[in-house]
Amino acid sequence: MKPVIALVQGDAAGIGPELLAKLLAHDEVRDAANILVISDPGVFAMGCRTAQTDPALHMISDYGHADFSLGRPNLLDVTQCLGTSALDLAEITAGEVSTKAGRTVLEGFGLALDLAKERQIDGLCFLPFNKQAMHQAGLGTEDELQWAKARLGYDGRASEFNVIDGMWNARVTSHVPLREVADRLSVDGIVASIELAHQTLRVAGFERPRIAVAALNPHAGDGGAIGREEIEIIRPAVERAKKQQIACEGPFPSDTLYIKVRDGRYDCALSMYHDQGQIAIKLLGFEMGVSVHGGLPLPITTPAHGTAFDIAGLNRANVEPVRRAFLMAVEMAANRRADSA
Amino acid sequence: MNQETAPIAITMGDPCGIGPEIVAKTLAREAPTSRTVVIGSARVMENAVRQLGLDLGVRTVAELGVVSSEPGVLAVWETSDLVDLPFRGQVSAAGGKAAYDAIVEAIKLAKAGSVSGIVTAPINKAALAAAGVKYPGHTEMLAEFGGAERVAMMLANDEIRTVLVTIHCSLKDAIARADYPAQMSAIRLAHEGALALGIDRPRVAVAGLNPHAGEGGLFGQEEIEVISPAISAARDEGIDATGPWPGDTVFMQARQGRFDVVVAQYHDQGLIPVKYMGLEKGVNITLGLPFVRTSPDHGTAFDIAGEGIADAASLETALEYAERLIAAKRRLFKAKDKSAQTEEAKKWA
Repeated sequence: MKPVIALVQGDAAGIGPELLAKLLAHDEVRDAANILVISDPGVFAMGCRTAQTDPALHMISDYGHADFSLGRPNLLDVTQCLGTSALDLAEITAGEVSTKAGRTVLEGFGLALDLAKERQIDGLCFLPFNKQAMHQAGLGTEDELQWAKARLGYDGRASEFNVIDGMWNARVTSHVPLREVADRLSVDGIVASIELAHQTLRVAGFERPRIAVAALNPHAGDGGAIGREEIEIIRPAVERAKKQQIACEGPFPSDTLYIKVRDGRYDCALSMYHDQGQIAIKLLGFEMGVSVHGGLPLPITTPAHGTAFDIAGLNRANVEPVRRAFLMAVEMAANRRADSA
Repeated sequence: MNQETAPIAITMGDPCGIGPEIVAKTLAREAPTSRTVVIGSARVMENAVRQLGLDLGVRTVAELGVVSSEPGVLAVWETSDLVDLPFRGQVSAAGGKAAYDAIVEAIKLAKAGSVSGIVTAPINKAALAAAGVKYPGHTEMLAEFGGAERVAMMLANDEIRTVLVTIHCSLKDAIARADYPAQMSAIRLAHEGALALGIDRPRVAVAGLNPHAGEGGLFGQEEIEVISPAISAARDEGIDATGPWPGDTVFMQARQGRFDVVVAQYHDQGLIPVKYMGLEKGVNITLGLPFVRTSPDHGTAFDIAGEGIADAASLETALEYAERLIAAKRRLFKAKDKSAQTEEAKKWA
């Protein structure tokens, strides 16, 4: 049986609704999985109007009524399911941050995560959210990954991966001041990050993912002359992970590491800090990239780009990154089910 | 001798590395566009030419004014009469000494105006140390002998130019050293360097230190406390400096043509994009010196030295950049001369 993939509506003021409609117009997409669209039907219809498409759907108000035998995506009406009021589209302006739009996003995303917790869905792909709108609507956590962890009742290690053209990147530290990075590195923490990368890429279909671990200092510390973290922390972590039969190497000087990954000598880079990996990823073409939340009980993916407020409602958004994000969720969900079967 | 006729000096680098080989390959190009003189050992260069099977004669010169630009001739200004050639691919005191002597001589010639600029082939840090040289690299020697108050490195390729606020130090030290004076110095040198490359009114983008350039103080204070005040001060000096921009998007924007030069806070922030965009096209330009100096963006590659497979593209690019910088400098001098003459003429009018 095909995996059930939830497609969660993005921010109503951005390009999400348009992309959702465009995505569902693809036969390849419709055939790839049992799709459960989780959306406010009014917002969904608005996206269809913008994209000038009208994909056939099976409308339901409760997941118990889901029926994939018809060969159509099911659309779960968030407002009916939760008994909330529909978003008044007259109050939404394309390209403007709206607290109400943020609330609708949280309702839909929350509903999807609840279904995931009940093991009703195998994977989740969401259209671009607007961070500010979500914060205004009461997100209450640093980002949607933390929010998802709390909602799923999952307190294990999870991390965001960036994927572009088969190049994966994960990071040991993320949104922290650069001066705190060195102090936050530990052998245990790096081993755990390597393990998480290994597991996540395995779920994504890599039999034995090859992981390249970045150094912290220029020239990987030049043998200890300009920094000792490579000798004291990173190398011991790599050695320990190797003993666990993980195909990892490093620490590599970060000014050439991403070239090795881009050229296919490794599948995944493990960066020590935010900008290290993001500089390379963004030069490669971030706008086509996919973000994967790895380590959670189910794969969660989303296009790496944002709500693109500047072109919202204009039918100019490129569906390709969403298509890639969706197919990644399908692949990971299928592999995970095969693994646990 | 004046700048107009002086040749460009190319130091041979560590004789045990790929330096002599890539210098010979570069100078064997069919149509030399400028006059060059290799500073180092004629025997080392002869050996490299022979091993590569190049149709190139090596000639020792005693006077730089007579260096010609005839194709097929490699002129050498001898600084080492090495009798026994040191082994290729190995660290040696003799190699370090020969490399060092060539650099010191090249700087002397450049300061005297006997050469119009310097292009340096790669040297080896360990070999310099073995030879008892107290300077770990070119930058330190140039700062010491070059007579510059402040020196910075600009890395450039076809798409991106960047100047580093801090260079070879640990990330922790880089954060400590990226203070206000270091920001000011890097911004000014980035501006001057871009002007020297012939860019009018250069747009200087300054990268932040922290993720998302600190996100308004959420992920670090350096942008607010140090970098932004330096940008404001530079703007007051008439420099078109902007930022601090998030480090992960500023290079992309520069590549798209929004900026002419990016000031990077630490080594890898600048080197990741430059190398990513094309290692073979990368070149280092030393800013702040009274003369032009460029170098390729790679090391001695001891592992492949003597095999004839080393790629000379980066050295060729370094030479092209040196030519460009020297030409821009000459134009600048001429323009100044002309405006001085015009001023003079006005007085008498």
